[in-house]
Amino acid sequence: MKWLDKFSENSARSVARQSSRRSFIARVGTLMVGAAAVPLLPVARASESTRPAAPTETGDPKSCDYWRYCAIDGFLCDCCGGSYNTCPPGTVVSPITWIGTCTNPVDGKDYIVSYNDCCGKSSCGRCLCTRNERDRPVYQPFLSNDINWCAGSSVDIAYNCSAAVVLGLATEESG
Amino acid sequence: MLRKLILLILVLSLPAAAAAEVVSESRPESVVLPAEANPHWVWVSDIVFHHMADGKAYLVDGDSGKFLGMLSTGMGFIAPALPSDYSEIYSPEIYFSRGIRGERTDVITFYDTRELKPTGEVVIPPRRFAAMPTLNYSSITDDNRFLVVYNFTPAQSVSVVDLKERRLVGETETAGCALVLPSGDRRFNMLCGDGALLTVTLDDQGEVVGKHRGEPFFDPAKDWVTEKAVRWGDTWIFVSFNGNVYPVDVSGEIPIAGKTWSMFSDAERDESWRPGGIQHLAVHQSSGRLYALVHQGEVFTHKDPGMDVWVYDLEKQQQLQKIKLNDIATSIQVSKDDAPLMFSIFIGNPTLDVYDAISGKHLRSVGEIGFTPTLLQTP
Repeated sequence: MKWLDKFSENSARSVARQSSRRSFIARVGTLMVGAAAVPLLPVARASESTRPAAPTETGDPKSCDYWRYCAIDGFLCDCCGGSYNTCPPGTVVSPITWIGTCTNPVDGKDYIVSYNDCCGKSSCGRCLCTRNERDRPVYQPFLSNDINWCAGSSVDIAYNCSAAVVLGLATEESG
Repeated sequence: MLRKLILLILVLSLPAAAAAEVVSESRPESVVLPAEANPHWVWVSDIVFHHMADGKAYLVDGDSGKFLGMLSTGMGFIAPALPSDYSEIYSPEIYFSRGIRGERTDVITFYDTRELKPTGEVVIPPRRFAAMPTLNYSSITDDNRFLVVYNFTPAQSVSVVDLKERRLVGETETAGCALVLPSGDRRFNMLCGDGALLTVTLDDQGEVVGKHRGEPFFDPAKDWVTEKAVRWGDTWIFVSFNGNVYPVDVSGEIPIAGKTWSMFSDAERDESWRPGGIQHLAVHQSSGRLYALVHQGEVFTHKDPGMDVWVYDLEKQQQLQKIKLNDIATSIQVSKDDAPLMFSIFIGNPTLDVYDAISGKHLRSVGEIGFTPTLLQTP
């Protein structure tokens, strides 16, 4: 159950982060006048809904096959001193992310996963993993795993690894 | 014993005697490349994914396979910008004052094409897009006067640099739109999230004097195109993840979408053929041949490597040829001359393969080209 404790801690922290992320997204949404707002909706919906209980999950978070990594592209933080949803020591999480929708094989449900880059050090270099399920081109940035999301962090673009944080259950429209 | 000793002395004295007869070489001088670029040269860009502070670009002669030289190009490197006259090389580069920490400085570095030395730089806003490389993240206007650089923080904008006067003209917001797709001496297009093109017009000083957002030319919810569009004359060729080709005429301020056509027959679709890779399209301008890297895979394998390049006639919108590669590839390029070469490389195995672009015959492989090579460009 250790992962559950970590998930809870992370959720508490993410609540604090959520406000800035949401206001940021609102700002970008305002900028994207006339642009497809579809990519933004899953984020908004997940943050506004009641956070569901943490999913029951199995698998090896050091393996690229781990269910949360369905749209990840980079080095797995679990192999780099962090975990699947925490950053390695001394790195800084990027508050803005790209979003994937992954199916948890345990309950068969789709979850919205935020891929947070951990930043401020050079590439970790371990467990390189590229999966592109539902990945979109960079002109739909919030669904694109090609982007170095450290660009939005306080330490800029030095990319170390990527973590995968469950934001909530995906609704039918958001998949 | 004496005889052995004399023999030993003779043997020991031989190298000295030989050395005395050789004219000693002067200190090494740096090679200067020819003034005229060989059209069969290829620039290979490398993001060096495991050491991203140290981006590189390598110049290789496709005819001989000789490694000619390289550039050191900073952090999160995408690609150098090559003007059509190959008079200079312009490289968008990012540096931090403490390696990967400290103050960030974004520059356009100007390089001499013969000595590959920096000859100057223009500092630009420290917001250049950092991502897996695609050529369309910065581009030069058709008359080689202005370089336009896409920024993402994630607020979206472009920086315009006057290459003649070597100065930053300015930065303009391009909310909701990405990429830089040149479409004239004073005009470029950007691809927006809703599937429309934004047309941006510059004046002779490079100031933005017009922005026009068109109608969507594809459905971004159903058949979205990749960012890796290629230009054929006044037409930009976009290809969707599903292998549908969307030509768009950009000769005027308002882009005109052409007839959509399919790269694949029904039988090929049944066999799950798809486009894919980092640089999966190339055009040979004069012949109108489109080269497309393809593979068999499920949906969302749009970045997977391929072992096959299929060639199409852009005028007739017909498949012409199927080329089997020597090795899997994520990027392809074709030289611009009338006896073109095709190049291919795989990000996971830095060996450059060279082919006759007409017959498809594999000519040579050049090993040890960087670490994680991404994009190919020919002068």
